[in-house]
Formats: sequence, structure tokens, C-alpha cells
Amino acid sequence: MGINKFISSVEESLGLDESKKSSKQKSLKSFLKKLKKRKEKINSFLKQKSDENALKEKKEELKIVSIHIKKAEKILAELEN
Amino acid sequence: MILRKILLPSILVILAYGFWISPDFKEIAAGVSIFLFGMVTLEEGFKAFSGGTLEKILQKSTDKLYKSISFGFVVTAIMQSSSLVSVLTISFIGAGLIGLTQGIGIILGANIGTTTGAWLMAGFGLKVKISAYAMPMLVFGVILIFQKAKSLKGIGYILAGLGFLFLGIHYMKDGFEAFKASVDLASFAVDGFKGLLIFIGVGILATVVMQSSHATIVLILAALSVGQITYENALALTIGANIGTTITAVIGSLSSNIDGKRLAGAHFIFNVVTAVVAIAIMDQIIHVVDIISDFVGIASDNHTLKLAVFDTLFKVMGVLMFIPFVDKLVNFLESTLKFKKSTAKGSSREIDTDSAKYLNESVLEIPATSMAAIVRETKHLYENSFEIIAHGINVKRSNIVSSMPFEEVVKESYSNTPVDIDLFYNNRIKGIYGEIIDFATKAQSDMAHEDIAILYKIKVANRDLVEAVKDTKYIQKNLVKYSNSTNKQIRKQYNTMRMDLTELLRTINIIATTDEEDVIILLLSKVKIHAKRYDIVANGTLDNLIRNSLITNEMATSLMNDSSYAFDISKKLTDMAEIIFIDSSDMRIIKEDMAMSDEDIETIINQKD
Repeated sequence: MGINKFISSVEESLGLDESKKSSKQKSLKSFLKKLKKRKEKINSFLKQKSDENALKEKKEELKIVSIHIKKAEKILAELEN
Repeated sequence: MILRKILLPSILVILAYGFWISPDFKEIAAGVSIFLFGMVTLEEGFKAFSGGTLEKILQKSTDKLYKSISFGFVVTAIMQSSSLVSVLTISFIGAGLIGLTQGIGIILGANIGTTTGAWLMAGFGLKVKISAYAMPMLVFGVILIFQKAKSLKGIGYILAGLGFLFLGIHYMKDGFEAFKASVDLASFAVDGFKGLLIFIGVGILATVVMQSSHATIVLILAALSVGQITYENALALTIGANIGTTITAVIGSLSSNIDGKRLAGAHFIFNVVTAVVAIAIMDQIIHVVDIISDFVGIASDNHTLKLAVFDTLFKVMGVLMFIPFVDKLVNFLESTLKFKKSTAKGSSREIDTDSAKYLNESVLEIPATSMAAIVRETKHLYENSFEIIAHGINVKRSNIVSSMPFEEVVKESYSNTPVDIDLFYNNRIKGIYGEIIDFATKAQSDMAHEDIAILYKIKVANRDLVEAVKDTKYIQKNLVKYSNSTNKQIRKQYNTMRMDLTELLRTINIIATTDEEDVIILLLSKVKIHAKRYDIVANGTLDNLIRNSLITNEMATSLMNDSSYAFDISKKLTDMAEIIFIDSSDMRIIKEDMAMSDEDIETIINQKD
């Protein structure tokens, strides 16, 4: 048995990989929460009247945030399964 | 150096002679050596735990002066080594993790913390057969030292360290008891003020030689317990030990940066002033010690416990005396010990030569502080690079970091003549970059594999910064030439390039100064999208200009090359920011998963509003 395989089997038997997974889940969940808050803020900004440049900028931000939310949700779902 | 060459052989010869004429002296010296070895071992053990927990506690518990003092006290009482606490403190100040005021607070607390050693020795070490505890500690300690796990090894060193400390005390005590039968050291006692000064001198010398005031005080207590020295002379020796320990700290700070030197200066001033005050009011202090001893039920002839009371009173008095003056002490040290700055003449302006701020030998003591220092130094390099890039594209740094519209930032030039980027590079980048790489190579020898992987990324971030500066130099020539060209199209393209780079610098600056993780990720994604969107080769702008003969072939070649350099600057600064400015542990775990891929960027660019 190679050293790396040995380490990973020890990690598995001690449940260390589970703790890695759960800390990632925790980080993702907290990040997702922040992203959703940000999305709400952008949406409420878009509802107000504003100059064209600012609107354009916020629309772009909305697209970026939406992609990140999708990504985070996908990874979370994979981890939970 | 010459003194060192003479001092060491002299000490060895004196010791050898002492061993030859007195086996009891040999036992005392062996006791001191074992005790010192115990301290070294104990320090090694605590260092094993300094990888994360200690740093977190240190950062959280030093934000107020009373917290720093309490922290210094508790940690020194646990570790039984003020020198380890000093080393850690200098290391943390050097890495920029705590400030000088907090550092001084820790040192003040550590001074009180060392008194616990005297209490342990006087109240426990001299009364029970301490070697009985030493043996099992040594056995368990050594077994654990041979274990591979870092934490077990650390516990092993701590146990063995304590075992050696106890064994050392046992030998010192036995040695003095036996020594008493042949030589009565008490006959050398000197009374009065003369005796006070002589024994303070002996205390200083003993501490400088042993490099530990703790060991000196334990030795004093051992000698006092068997009546080999008088109580009054023991008090003077204790004061001497406190002065001697600052000399050790000053010597230790010579390899440290300016903050380490300032801290050693504070330590020196504190201990010397306290000692002078104690000498001036010695009779009153002795009287107060008697009152306290009576009050807590210490017998009037129990000189060892009374010495512990004196040691505590003397140090607490010093700390109370200094607390109101800590800020003044910081100001004094900052104005007395300053950074050395040199200036080189540039083509039109004077440019300060800059060097590394956070990298020094003291930081190398602990892998975690080495890493923190390298990250801070990279941020320092980033600040210099930011300035050079801003001036290279001829915009004012202050305008970039403001909320001024980009069009106006570009209109307000930094200088009428182009800045000498080479000179800037040589004075403010090259040296620091070289120092970071050199320091990182030294630091990684003590690091774990996963830390070495992180360090590699930081080195790449540094290289990105240096290359971004070099790319700016390539762009500068044509920026100067075309941003005021009579050809409207090429002028517009180069000013747009300046504007895009200004936007990039502003975004990176926000990333560097915010703590909001979602903002950092959002802005990093934005920068990547903009770099792609504004690439004039990819978006067809260049083709259009050539096809319609709006610019000459020479202009087209320059524009194509320079837009590629601008794209590289953008990419390198973004990559650097991803490594350096995402520093929360939560984000570090997920940043790779959350990074925007090329596919994501394409999706956003092609999406319609």
C-alpha cells in the first residue's frame, strides 16, 4: 500500500474526510447566504430609477451573483448527496 | 566578537577548575545545566503548538492593554519561560500581526508571569522530593518525543522539559546542601549599599551567562534555602537577574527588525527603571514584604517564600508604575528607533528606495509568522506596484482610489514627462521581490507540505506583480506617444486602455481593502469579464479600425501588442489578488470551486440584458 493510499484510508476510517466535507459545506452555506443577500440588494436597486451606467453595472453584477449562486447550490447538492 | 572568543574558553576553564576542586560545585552546575536544558526542551514543546491556536489566541487577546498584560502573565506562567514569550512577541510584531503597544503589554505581563516560577520553587520545589516527579515525566516525555504526530511530540517535549526542570532543581538543592559542609558562601556576604550593588552585579552576570533570569532566581532560592547566601543579598541578586535578562533580550533583538529592537528597548527601559526605583526604596519594599508575609502567614524566617513575595511585589510595582506611560514609551521608541530610508534621484522626481518591512530572522522562528510576514510583504510589494502602474499609465494614485469618474481620472495626468519605470522598479520592486524569494526559501525548510504549497502560490503572486510592472513599462512608450496623437481613433483607443487599467486598479484596491467575501468574489469575477470584453482583438474593434483604414499599420501593430500587455496586466493582478487578498479560512476552502471559469465568462458576455 502506497503512503498516499494509506493516509487516505486512515482519513476515511477516522472520518477525517467527513470533517473536511462538513467544513466545506459550512463555508459554502455561509457564502451562499451572503450571495443571496447581495442579490436581494441588487434587485431592489434595479427597481429604483437610476442612471443608465449604474443600471448597466448592477445588471452585470446580478448576472455574476446568479452564476455564483447556481455554482454554490450545485456543489452543496453534490456534497449532501 | 573578540570578547565572545575569550569569554567562552574562560568560562569553560573556570568551570573545569571548579569541578576539579569541588564535586559539590559540579553537582550544582549540573543542576543548572539540566534546568536550562529543561527550559530549552519546554520551549521546543510549546513551539510545536504555535502553528495556529497560539496565534489565534494572541491576536484576539491583545487588542487592549490590560488584555495584553493578562495574556503575557498567563502564557509565561504556563510556559515558565519569559524568553519564549519575548521571542514569540518579537516574531508577531515583526510579522505585523500585533503592534508595539500590545507587544509591550505582553512583556509587562510576562514579567509578572515569571514570578510564578519563584513561587513554585519556594513553595513546592524546595519542600518536596521534586525528583520523584521528574523521573516519570522524563520517561513519558521521551517516549512521546519519539512519536510521529506533531502534537504528541509537543506534549513529549513539554513533559521532558518539566522533568528536566525538576531534576535540575533537585541537583541544585542537593549540591548546595553538600556544599555547605565544605564551604560557607554566606561568609562572603556584604552588608549595606555596597553589598546591594555588588550582588546586583553578580545577578546581572549570572543571568547573562545562563541566558535566563528564571534559572538565576531558582539558583538564588536553592542557595538561600540552605543559608548559603543572606536574605538581603538574595534580594539584590534578584534585582540583578531582572536587569541581566534585558541584556539577553537586547542581544536577541539584534537580528530582529525595527519593531523587535523597539520591544527590546522597552523591555530594557522597564526593567532598568524598575530596578533603579527598587534600589532607591529598598528599605520600604523590604518593610512591605514583611507586612505582606505576616498577613498571608509566612514565617518571618522563611526567606525563600519572602523572596518570592519580594520578586512579585517588585515586578507588580514596576508594571503599575509603567502602565500610564506605555503610549509615551511607544512614542519615544518610535521617534528614537526609526526606519532607515535612502533616496535615489529620478529623471524628474526623487524616488525613495524601499526595502522589505516584515522579513527578518525573528519572524523565521515560527512557520505561521513566517507565512504571515511573507503575505504582508507581498501586500507591501503590491502597494509599490500599484503606484508604479498608476504612474506608468500617467494617472494619479489618489484619483484611482477615489470615486472620481474614470473619464476625469484619465484627463488629469500625473506628470507631463513620462516617469522612469526602470528607476522605480530598481528602487521599489526589485529589492523587495528578491528579499521575499530569499526569505521564502529559508522559511519553507521548517514548513509542512501543505504550507509549502501555499507558499508556492504566494511566490507566483509576487512574480505576477513584478511582471505586471514590467508589462506597464512596455505599454508606457506608446501610451505617451498615442494618448495625445492627432489621430482621433488611436488616441481614443489608448485613452480607453488607460481607463480600463484605471478601473482594474480601482477594483483591485477595493478587493485589497474590503473584508466582505462576497464583494471580493464579485469584483474578481467582474475584472475577469471586463478583461475579456475589452480585449480589442477578441471583440473585433481592431479589425474594424484596420478594415476602415482608421489607423496606420504601425499603429495597429502597436495597439495589438499593447492591448495584449494590458490583458496580461489585468490577468496577473487578478491572479495575484485571488491568492493574496482572499484570506478568510472559509473562503480559502471554497475559492477554487467558486472561481469563474472561461465558460462562465462567455455565458455572461453573450447574455442579453
